[in-house]
Amino acid sequence: MRFSDTMLGTVLLLLGASIAIYARTLPAVPGQQYGAAAFPTLIGLAMIGCALLLFVKGWQAGSVPLVARTEWTRQPGALLAVAITIVCIVAYILLARRIGFVPMSVAILIVLFRSLSVSWGKTVFFAVAATLVTDYVFRSLLLVPLPFGIMPRLPW
Amino acid sequence: MDAIIQAFGLVFTWPVLATLVGAALFGLLVGAVPGLTATMATALLVPLTFFMDPIPAVGAMVTCAAMAIFAGDIPGALLRIPGTPASAAYVDETYAMTRRGEAETVLGACVLFSALGGLFGTVVLIFAAPALAEFALNFSSQEYFWMAMLGLTCAAFIGATSPVRGMISLLIGLLVSTVGLNNAAGVPRFTFGSTDLMAGIDFIPAMIGLFAISEVLRTMAAGAPSWDNVQVKVGNIFRNWGGMIVRYWRQQVRGNVVGTAIGILPGAGADVAAYVSYAISKRLSKTPGKYGKGHLEGVVEATASNNAALSSAWVPALVFGIPGDTITAIVIGVLYVKGLNPGPTLFLFNPQMIYAVFLIFILANLLMVPLGWLVIKLARGLLRTPRAILMPIILVFCIVGAFASNNAAYGIVVMLAFGILGFFMEENEIPIAPCILGIVIGPILERNFVTTMIKSDGSLLTFIDRPIAAVLALALAVIWASVLYSTFRNRAAASA
Repeated sequence: MRFSDTMLGTVLLLLGASIAIYARTLPAVPGQQYGAAAFPTLIGLAMIGCALLLFVKGWQAGSVPLVARTEWTRQPGALLAVAITIVCIVAYILLARRIGFVPMSVAILIVLFRSLSVSWGKTVFFAVAATLVTDYVFRSLLLVPLPFGIMPRLPW
Repeated sequence: MDAIIQAFGLVFTWPVLATLVGAALFGLLVGAVPGLTATMATALLVPLTFFMDPIPAVGAMVTCAAMAIFAGDIPGALLRIPGTPASAAYVDETYAMTRRGEAETVLGACVLFSALGGLFGTVVLIFAAPALAEFALNFSSQEYFWMAMLGLTCAAFIGATSPVRGMISLLIGLLVSTVGLNNAAGVPRFTFGSTDLMAGIDFIPAMIGLFAISEVLRTMAAGAPSWDNVQVKVGNIFRNWGGMIVRYWRQQVRGNVVGTAIGILPGAGADVAAYVSYAISKRLSKTPGKYGKGHLEGVVEATASNNAALSSAWVPALVFGIPGDTITAIVIGVLYVKGLNPGPTLFLFNPQMIYAVFLIFILANLLMVPLGWLVIKLARGLLRTPRAILMPIILVFCIVGAFASNNAAYGIVVMLAFGILGFFMEENEIPIAPCILGIVIGPILERNFVTTMIKSDGSLLTFIDRPIAAVLALALAVIWASVLYSTFRNRAAASA
């Protein structure tokens, strides 16, 4: 998804303006001219400045569609693959605590390998092997408390 | 002298040396895989460094980054796909040489001149950093404010194809840096009632998202096509080394000097150095016509330059705590975690640490020769690893790494958000590096601005009433003026 200069400028203008307005709600430090609001206000104003520059560019470029689809999105399955990847991460965020790292990781790897049409044999082998290695390195060597969930503790 | 002996004691222990070799191999592998950058290698290493002592942690990052920058040359030469952006400047050149059957010459030159460049940058680091640190002890908040401004300016404008887009990326980074309670007034900003956001946006998962997740998404979208098979056989890379040093010493020295200078500039790193050096080499060459058709001259200069920049980027990072490039931006985060707050006082109170870092730099660049040879030998097999297997595994590694940064799912949420942001930014040709530097430099800039204003009771003139501050302000004005001038000249040239 590619935004034209005008579209990008509009997004930036709205963002900059809302930041600057939000910054006005931040309390001032008594007796000081510059407090918590100064820096966000400057960022907001600079964003508005960039938006105006983009408007000028967009106006010079003439009429282009506001949002264009980039080349890769036209390939069959490309958007689906991106969506699947994002859904996998979201699923991990929501479910890992309850289900545990090992089953989630194996499941994610199987889904992704299959969506890239890796053969079933390789899929299962690499999904299990990569998960167990990661689990060993992070849980046992580096002591990261990866969630257990429904999994019994592995013998390392 | 005592500190130097202590430094040797810190570095030459088996665990540290083993960590260095491990990190070197990791850096070489990641650098040699197209699409995985040196910055990404460093970011993926961070979760591992949480559990190490300070010296192996910093050493691992130094070694990994140096190897990754060199290894980026390998797929460039063999497949015409640069492994890291720092190799992109001369990829046509190296590939053309490979096609002429000179793969061993060009890869040999890359190993040799990368290592020499890295060593040159290290020598400058060793001599310049302590001297600058002594100088920096005189710095007050005004000077740090201008240094931070200089870093942001270089980040946004140097090497950016479009200054406006560089600026946008920078502003996104600065905005991210304002989230949380971490400001002079201690007011929660942009937290929207979330307790997680009170502590600010964690830098490490944000980095992993911007650099690694966005690349995973891109590869998934493309269906992870495998690379063309490498057909070339690489012979003895050590041939011609003597001849090349004699023949190209001028290019080598010039590349080293330019690379080191660009590396020292806060905010501009190895990729910018390679582009600038390649351009300089072409302009000053006696045979500019040969460039782009497989001519070693430019390769030597640019590959010497990018590794020199990598080492010298540590000068501003260690002395001022202001990152010289995206990699040192990550390193600064790790230094804080390890209680080694960068700044001139680090040289006063912990000189043995500084010397240990210098030693590791020298070791890393010496290790580059044997390990580089090994990876070049293995490159054909390495580039045959299907990306369809690699990318999903990297994704799981990212998830675990983001989780490990504070042992909470919040890290993964941050990673995903920044992954999508990075993906969108790349789609719209907004560079990512300025954003990272904005996140790191933003708090420094704000803190020193507010401190100065409190000291001076709100008088803006304070910013230029100290001599060093005035010089820095002037330097900044010159850079801004030259950016504006070149933008307008380009526009005039385009409309004429």
